[in-house]
Amino acid sequence: MANTHTGNTAQSETLSANPVVVVQGIGQLGRSFLREVGAMFWFIAHTLDETIDRIRQGRVPFRAASFFEHTERAGVESVPLVGLVSFFLGLTMALLTGYQLARFGTERLVPGLVAIGFTRELGPLLTGIMLAARIGAAFTAELGTMKVSEEVEAIEAMGIGPLRFLVAPRMLALFFLMPCLSTISNIAAIFASSLVCRAYFNMAFVYFIDLVRDALLIRDIVTGILKSLMFGLIIGGIACYRGLSVRGGAAGVGTSTTSSVVTAITVVIGVDTLYNTIYTVFFPT
Amino acid sequence: MSAPPTHVAELRDVYMQFDEKKVLDGVSLLVNPLDRLVIMGQSGSGKSTILRLILGILPPNAGSIFFKQFEITRLQRRKLQQVRRHIGMVYQYSALLSSRTVRDNVALPLEELTDMSREEIDEIVDAKLDLVGMKDSRDSMPSELSGGMKKRVSLARALVMEPELILFDEPVAGLDPVIASVIDELIISLTEKSQVTSIIVTHEMDSAFRIGTRMAMLYQGKIIEDAPPDQFKQSNNPVVAQFLSGSTEGPILEGSQDAITTK
Repeated sequence: MANTHTGNTAQSETLSANPVVVVQGIGQLGRSFLREVGAMFWFIAHTLDETIDRIRQGRVPFRAASFFEHTERAGVESVPLVGLVSFFLGLTMALLTGYQLARFGTERLVPGLVAIGFTRELGPLLTGIMLAARIGAAFTAELGTMKVSEEVEAIEAMGIGPLRFLVAPRMLALFFLMPCLSTISNIAAIFASSLVCRAYFNMAFVYFIDLVRDALLIRDIVTGILKSLMFGLIIGGIACYRGLSVRGGAAGVGTSTTSSVVTAITVVIGVDTLYNTIYTVFFPT
Repeated sequence: MSAPPTHVAELRDVYMQFDEKKVLDGVSLLVNPLDRLVIMGQSGSGKSTILRLILGILPPNAGSIFFKQFEITRLQRRKLQQVRRHIGMVYQYSALLSSRTVRDNVALPLEELTDMSREEIDEIVDAKLDLVGMKDSRDSMPSELSGGMKKRVSLARALVMEPELILFDEPVAGLDPVIASVIDELIISLTEKSQVTSIIVTHEMDSAFRIGTRMAMLYQGKIIEDAPPDQFKQSNNPVVAQFLSGSTEGPILEGSQDAITTK
């Protein structure tokens, strides 16, 4: 009896303390979130600043070889992955929607559906997620290891700006490659859906192409490309920022790499949603 | 403007704190031209912090730091980067860029900070690698080199911009005694040949007395002794005496966690 009584008091005490704890927790979360966003913003701003400063001195900000090395790794080597995943997704999308639409005899909507779906939304999003996992992780681990082994500090100590030297070529490579990769993703998906349309819904390739061209607007393509550019910057920024803020040896590199991938994917999806919301509010239909 | 300063670097009443831990508690230090100043102290006493403060990589909590007439603590980023070109740093673990060959590592500052042609850079890189006896490893990757060899490449990289001041962070830590002597002699001959001032942070006694023309002891955030090697050896300061003898009896361990575990 006495036990129950004290148990109740303890429970009511934790209950009464709860709102404060919850608010505190939210406050702390909010604060660390804002701090991260702020740090990330300044990180990108400082990188830009260092790079522009260097250009103003009349020198190239980084060697072309360094830039192309990253584009090769981030871009060319990602083509098979991005192409294959988009191809399979295009197949699935065409199949699933095709069978549903066939019941109403409107399967000729499939080409347009896949084309618009991919150029506006899935192409950039899928590519973003894959690049965050594949390249974001690599960048973070690479820069993190450099940071831990004092290489970054050594670069700084020589009087070379590490942001310009290490971060700028990586971010720029991702920035320019994202649109290319998402275009490849679009093409792979549309090609896959054309195969499905040919095999199951008896659509000739020429007819398929006509339907795609009818459905696609320049606006859809531009939206997709703008999104890709933005995602490239976000993934590059987060990956490099996490890499250079690694603390505490090998374990730190691991933690930062995981956090880099998770953050980049979450932010990419979040920004995508925000972008779509704003876009549909200002440019309906 | 007053007359140009005669010292190469100066710390003026510098305070530095990491979180709750006070590392430097009012350190003042003058580095004169051609000094080979050895800073000694226990592990974690803030010796390496002094080097990072001089490079402007860490900002002090209070006090000012000078390199020649430049006040490091007040410089804009661009100016600071220019000043850093006149300071070379050799890291404890060499900090060579692992993705670049020895040649590319040494050439990096020249490629990034000067307008020299590839031929000119190659010439300088070869000369510096020759100075440290590493010319044959020109095309090796850092991972293929031993600790001593990495240290030498790192020294060549520090020398490549013809600095006026070279900072050494534990130059012989982790090396065997013979290689350590080689590195010591290399430091002496190179600094004499190139007329460079240097600051060496170490707690290896033999090496310290071999290299140093001046010794300073950092203890509890303060410089407690600063003298030429022979005077330093005879110091009356009990902390210095204990540090030199390596005895467990004395003021250094009093009240510290280490003392408790040794009892």
